[in-house]
Amino acid sequence: MLWSIQYKVTRKVEKDMQPKKGWLDRLYQNLSSMRLTISLFLTLAACSILGTLLPQGTTLEELHKQHGPGLAWWIDILSLNDLYRAGWFRMILLLLCVNLIICTLQRLPKTLKLIKHRDEMISPERLEKFSCHTEITSSQPLDATQAELARIVAEEFASLQPLANPKAFSAVAERGRWSRMMVYVIHLSVLVILVGALIGSIFGFKGFMNLAEGETSDEVMLAKGRQVITLPFQIRCDNFAVSFYDNGAPKEYRSDLTIIDKGREILSQSILVNDPLTYEGVTFYQASYGTFLKQVELELENRETGVTQRLSLPYREVVPIPGSQDEIEVMQYQENFSSFGQAAAIVLLKEGQQPAGSWILMDMPEFHGNRIQNYRVRVLHVEKSNYTGLQVKQDPAVWFVYFGFTVMVLGIAMTFYTSHRKLWVWASTGKKGENSTKVFIAGRTNKNSLAFEQEFNRLCARLRIDLNPKQV
Amino acid sequence: MNSSLLLSITTFAYLLCTVLYLSGTLFRYRPLLVSGSIVGGFALIVQTAGILLRWQESYQLGYGHAPLSNLYESLVFAAWAIMLIYFVLELRTKQRILGVFPALFAFLAMAYASFSSQVDSKIQPLVPALKSNWLIAHVVTCFLGYAAFAISCGISILYLFSKTASSSNPHPKGFFAVLPTPRQLDQFNYQMIVFGFLWLSLGIITGSIWADSAWGTYWSWDPKETWSLITWLVYAALLHARTIQGWRGSRVAWLSVLGFGCVLFTYFGVNFLLSGLHSYATK
Repeated sequence: MLWSIQYKVTRKVEKDMQPKKGWLDRLYQNLSSMRLTISLFLTLAACSILGTLLPQGTTLEELHKQHGPGLAWWIDILSLNDLYRAGWFRMILLLLCVNLIICTLQRLPKTLKLIKHRDEMISPERLEKFSCHTEITSSQPLDATQAELARIVAEEFASLQPLANPKAFSAVAERGRWSRMMVYVIHLSVLVILVGALIGSIFGFKGFMNLAEGETSDEVMLAKGRQVITLPFQIRCDNFAVSFYDNGAPKEYRSDLTIIDKGREILSQSILVNDPLTYEGVTFYQASYGTFLKQVELELENRETGVTQRLSLPYREVVPIPGSQDEIEVMQYQENFSSFGQAAAIVLLKEGQQPAGSWILMDMPEFHGNRIQNYRVRVLHVEKSNYTGLQVKQDPAVWFVYFGFTVMVLGIAMTFYTSHRKLWVWASTGKKGENSTKVFIAGRTNKNSLAFEQEFNRLCARLRIDLNPKQV
Repeated sequence: MNSSLLLSITTFAYLLCTVLYLSGTLFRYRPLLVSGSIVGGFALIVQTAGILLRWQESYQLGYGHAPLSNLYESLVFAAWAIMLIYFVLELRTKQRILGVFPALFAFLAMAYASFSSQVDSKIQPLVPALKSNWLIAHVVTCFLGYAAFAISCGISILYLFSKTASSSNPHPKGFFAVLPTPRQLDQFNYQMIVFGFLWLSLGIITGSIWADSAWGTYWSWDPKETWSLITWLVYAALLHARTIQGWRGSRVAWLSVLGFGCVLFTYFGVNFLLSGLHSYATK
């Protein structure tokens, strides 16, 4: 469906081209064509569909696994796995902007001329050519008819502006003269939004930071390119809490944050999912959360000496085992290790030897594998802590984009719900003598002709009655 | 009296309304069409009461949110919006024959909401992402747009029927004789598309502002966002196509049917076939 339309469009465009003109003129003609606009809309739609069908942001390795090397190569070369940021997709968007600008350059002067154009010589012959026209005979003399016409048309439509005409009375009335400009307002809003998005992507950033409760940081991991940027101030997570409904669904994620600028606590605020915190143009959003291991309490039994002792091991910190040359460290932690429950990867460091390690199953204290060399390990207590995942954003152009949104909505409403409607009236003394007047009326609209026809017919019906008052 | 009883009555009333409109059209019998309007109007009032009651019930359960938070509630609202917009159109145009498709769509939405095992009709509490004032603005604007496009699709189908009939026979018989003229249908279609386009634009914009306040990005090319943009592009193409000589009529009608296909995919296809940020809408 999409493609057949586009095919026809291209064919038409080719037919419309003037063979005599140079290629620059032809290019300009094509770039200003409405058919190109429609093709671009449908092409953008078709390409966007492709992007929703293929998972975005996948790596080359994943592509190889899923599609095989041949297809993966094509997907990679066309950046179909990052389609919306791909150069060719942006080129289509750019082409749409160029098309829009050239269309505006070509049509705006004509529209302005049309709006400014006022004085017209009208005659019954010309008015009869309009699709909306009628002839009314008034039983009143010309001057009385003229006054009545002016009064009724002003009441029903808009005030009549008389035209210079030596032979007869002629006048025009119009409404929604500026309605024709509104379509340019919509087009401008599209450019405003796209430019705003561009400014935002150049001068702003989007990133992520994980903050443990009590931790202070100024480092943001950028979404693009795995880079880290440093904020000009610090942020601390004082507390993170998640609450649940009775049915187990999450109710609220809340982080209590404090901004620290040049060593001073500037402000403390809680953020929720729909309620972020903004400081100096940088906004922090509640995005995710998790738990991490803070400290493990162990019972170590040295099977060579028979000594049993208790030790507290902060996560990823090397701790010496008292009464020996050995050291011990918790390297990793898993909530559910191969469905055996919680497990900690613990490493034993002996002088002059390779480090030795093992996964210690915490929920199975009697498991025979809970040992490292000569030590039997038993986890007595696990201390966990929460971290909050914050989305961090700076977008200096977001208000520009919002302005574009507002203009777009107003533009659409004004374009489609106002129309330029014009009425021409011509009146002259009729043949029957001084006491009757011949009136020609015609009307035209730039849209919604059916509604205008009804309006026109209503006006004419009223004029027929009011211009022919019953003789008393 | 509870909201689910009222909404069940609504479902069957819309079925009856569809049957009345359809038989009135096929048999060219005016009283059937009039009773279709009466039953439809009655159903709309019962449904309004049902939606308001459900809103109140959610407060009684301690959740307290507008009934626009999941697939069930959005389907009910879609049916409501279709019938509301349709009745405004009917009052303005006095063409009851246009009611066949809106009534059918409203019935199908209600029937799917009520009888499908995929749709949970329980009142659920709001997950944190949905706790925002933008919820009402976003859902209402989107669905007013979708509803207008549903009606436009119905009118386009009628248009394509009547066009084929009138091209083969200048004085059509049977139910074609009672259809509005192709020019009228084209005009009604245009009115619905313009209305839908305005609301869809507002829907995308409110969604975009909401996404910015919840996730820090007003556009992330999430499948739902992308499909709503695709829908917007198709209708934008349609509105531009209409200004080209000779493109009015059948091509516009086909584009409108295509556009509504995109609406349906945005609404259902994305939820069930693609994954993304709008996953709460599948439950």
